[in-house]
Amino acid sequence: MRNAYLRYAGIRLVQAVVVVLLAYLFTFVVVSILPGDPVTNVLRDPQNGFTEEQIKTIIAAQGLDQPISVQLWTSLSGFLVGDFGVSMRSTRPVTTLIAEVLPSTLILASAGLAVALLLAAAIAYGTQFLPKRLGQGIVRAFPSLFLSVPGFVIGLVLIHAFGFQLGLFRVIEPDSAWATVFAAVALGIPISAQIAEVLIANLDHESGQEYAAVARSRGLGRVRLFAKHLLKPSSLPVVTVIALTVGELLGGSLITETVFGRTGIGSLVQRSAAAQDLPVLQAVVSLAAVVFVLVNLIADLFYPLLDPRLKLVGGTERRPTSANESAAPAPGSVTG
Amino acid sequence: MAARDGLSVTLPPAEASPEPTTRPSGPLLRVDGLSVSYGPNEVVTDVGFALGRGESLALIGESGSGKSTIARSVLRLLPRGGHATGRIEFDGQEVLGLSERRFRPLRGRAIGFVPQDPGNALNPVRTIGAQAEESAALLDGTDQALRTGRILETFAQVGLDDPRRVYDAYPHQLSGGMLQRVLIGLAVLPRPALLVADEPTSALDVTIQKRILDLLSRLRQDLDISLLLITHDLAIAAERADALVVLKDGLVQEAGRTAAVFASPASAYARKLHADVPALNPDRYAGLRAAGFRRLETGAAVPKIEVSAVTKTFTVDGMALTAVDDVSFTVRAGTTHALVGESGSGKTTTIRLLLGLDQPDTGDIRVAGEQVTGRSHEALRTVRRHLQLIYQNPFTSLDPTWKVEGLVREPLDRFRIGTRDERAVRVREALADVGLGEHLLARRPDALSGGQRQRVAIARALVLKPDVIVLDEPTSALDVSVQADIVEVLLTLQADLGLTYLFVSHDLALVRQLAHTVSVMHRGRIVEHGSVSDIFDNPRQAYTASLLAAVPSGIAERARWPHPRFEAVRNEACVA
Repeated sequence: MRNAYLRYAGIRLVQAVVVVLLAYLFTFVVVSILPGDPVTNVLRDPQNGFTEEQIKTIIAAQGLDQPISVQLWTSLSGFLVGDFGVSMRSTRPVTTLIAEVLPSTLILASAGLAVALLLAAAIAYGTQFLPKRLGQGIVRAFPSLFLSVPGFVIGLVLIHAFGFQLGLFRVIEPDSAWATVFAAVALGIPISAQIAEVLIANLDHESGQEYAAVARSRGLGRVRLFAKHLLKPSSLPVVTVIALTVGELLGGSLITETVFGRTGIGSLVQRSAAAQDLPVLQAVVSLAAVVFVLVNLIADLFYPLLDPRLKLVGGTERRPTSANESAAPAPGSVTG
Repeated sequence: MAARDGLSVTLPPAEASPEPTTRPSGPLLRVDGLSVSYGPNEVVTDVGFALGRGESLALIGESGSGKSTIARSVLRLLPRGGHATGRIEFDGQEVLGLSERRFRPLRGRAIGFVPQDPGNALNPVRTIGAQAEESAALLDGTDQALRTGRILETFAQVGLDDPRRVYDAYPHQLSGGMLQRVLIGLAVLPRPALLVADEPTSALDVTIQKRILDLLSRLRQDLDISLLLITHDLAIAAERADALVVLKDGLVQEAGRTAAVFASPASAYARKLHADVPALNPDRYAGLRAAGFRRLETGAAVPKIEVSAVTKTFTVDGMALTAVDDVSFTVRAGTTHALVGESGSGKTTTIRLLLGLDQPDTGDIRVAGEQVTGRSHEALRTVRRHLQLIYQNPFTSLDPTWKVEGLVREPLDRFRIGTRDERAVRVREALADVGLGEHLLARRPDALSGGQRQRVAIARALVLKPDVIVLDEPTSALDVSVQADIVEVLLTLQADLGLTYLFVSHDLALVRQLAHTVSVMHRGRIVEHGSVSDIFDNPRQAYTASLLAAVPSGIAERARWPHPRFEAVRNEACVA
């Protein structure tokens, strides 16, 4: 069992590395074939006021005069050791630029995920325990409602209601605690809908299963049935959904940052894309791929530990056959 | 108390039964005017019966008769939308009207439940032990270690070999028989006064069925538990119950003491049930089978299927497992050969080899003189025209999105037989052969009953006019009465068309009714073969004899496990 798990983990890890490398390559190719020559657009822009001498130096430093294959190799080998080169726009190391804005985005994304999980759990709990007459139908409608409203609209509504009307935070201080909380709420609401939908469907399915009725026949009440029996099997598919929503969490963060005026990866991407700052774009996209792959890798690695039924490839777990049954002693032999 | 607790001497004295004098009189369970409906559909109508203390009562009927619904009403575990009216008295107290909060303490403690399908009755992602602790928690005043000890004792009591391993296992790591033992253990652990068992053995092999039923009888006797047994099998009910209630479409057809109902059923439906139990009517189809026997006697029948010295080994996790070991048998034209054995005996692998779905390691298989082994997929198609298979479960073997007409016509389309119009005619003929009308042509499987679905499956096999049909447990998913209809259809077709059947089954009583010759398989080998009368009247192998002994016959068991008269227990208790 242990060996099988390690083998499984090893295979998954290798797959993850391959996916990240392919994502990097793909980004590199897409960025290279984008219309417009960054050298002309950025460096020769009269606003920047580079002299011909300086431009030559930058081109040489960035390796832009090298063949594309050499450029790819330089960029990839740098990426592998965490060096993303130098921004063309600000001529500062890309790593520094990202490090400056990353914490803000990470805080927002994790707070958004926390909000999403709490909301989804609350909605799911409501569908199971609210009496039918008292708004179970309304609670069940929440996920589709949340999904059908665009995230930025939720953000704008929150800013208007809590920022302007109630004055809980000032819009010109987007990094204050309350502003962060509401940004996280705006980010978390659409994501909570996806998690809640899966959770509700699974809870409904599991509570109709025979084992739930049999557990109740052992005298279990509804709360214990929910907590001890239904929650775990219903949450297992949610692990996958959460891993998949990480991409949305990142994308949503960028939009939410813009709506709330926060500095973060979002603003960095916006500025770099406008200026065709290739090294920064390449770095951000690659990092996003790494995060996405990493989270899904963690989900994959957790899954077999959570679900005992999952058979691992090459696993040694075997279902006993009826031979075991016939080996059991006749019931009479136990009696004294 | 010695007699009552004789089963496990380590029981703490606190678990002793209450003083006999404190027992109220009257039946333990009395159901009166019970009706259950789902929305506007009433599935149980005005049902009443009484179960005496220490007695057992069987509710008998086919699927849809409402027997499981009654069981669930007693436990108040009806699925969503179910609504019960009437009276259910347990131990003198009306329980149907109780609030959930007041009824819940009765579940498990006073009324235990053994479910139908052990494979789905335990939470798949929790260990057996974690779920057993829930039952053990119903025992008062014991600490954690003691409770776990009681669980392990109970597991040993229900015949589980290695209680510790079972405790730590997840449900998917145990076989169906073991799971059913676990579930019975969990139900009896808190010492309920009443056990409700809903078809406790219908998902199990015949020998395991017997062991589970014996176990229930013994526990009932030793622990003084009353039993409400739900079954579709009259023979089982007659064997195990003191009283019978026969149900059809939610209505009581007949009720009374077992001996009376079983010996002289008064209602037409009870008589039909009796006639449909294969074990009770071994010669029911003697007339239809006579032609086959004549063919065998005169030696006129040529071999249609010849399996010679076939062996197939699979590698499972690096270990070689011989699924079929040197198996040989011959099926003669116009006769039925039965391949009998329990799950895992190699029956299914043998059929797969016969159909060319797997290739044997060694040996030779011929169907109608043509070799099956070593052929390419394409070359097998010509063999398949003569060799058709009818699957075990008509609920999963028919594509639910197809209509009956398309389902039956598909083989003709595949082999490009006839014109469009000729195909349509053949489809209608095949349906008529199995007794289905043309009004069903446009239906989808969901709109058919189990028996109709299996008839469609038979028509689908017949439409190619094959010589040989392999029947893989064709009735095991069906009720006894539907089974009788299907068997009749099959035997009539054989008599009319001279078909050759290979009938695979674990049900010996059914085999005796319809087969001409039999091979008994055990752990991949054929342990015994011969004519039906040879095997059934003079089994030479102990294994065959044990299979035969496991068939419920409707008589012996109550005599074998007499219920201890309550008075007798009381007397012994006083002496002790």
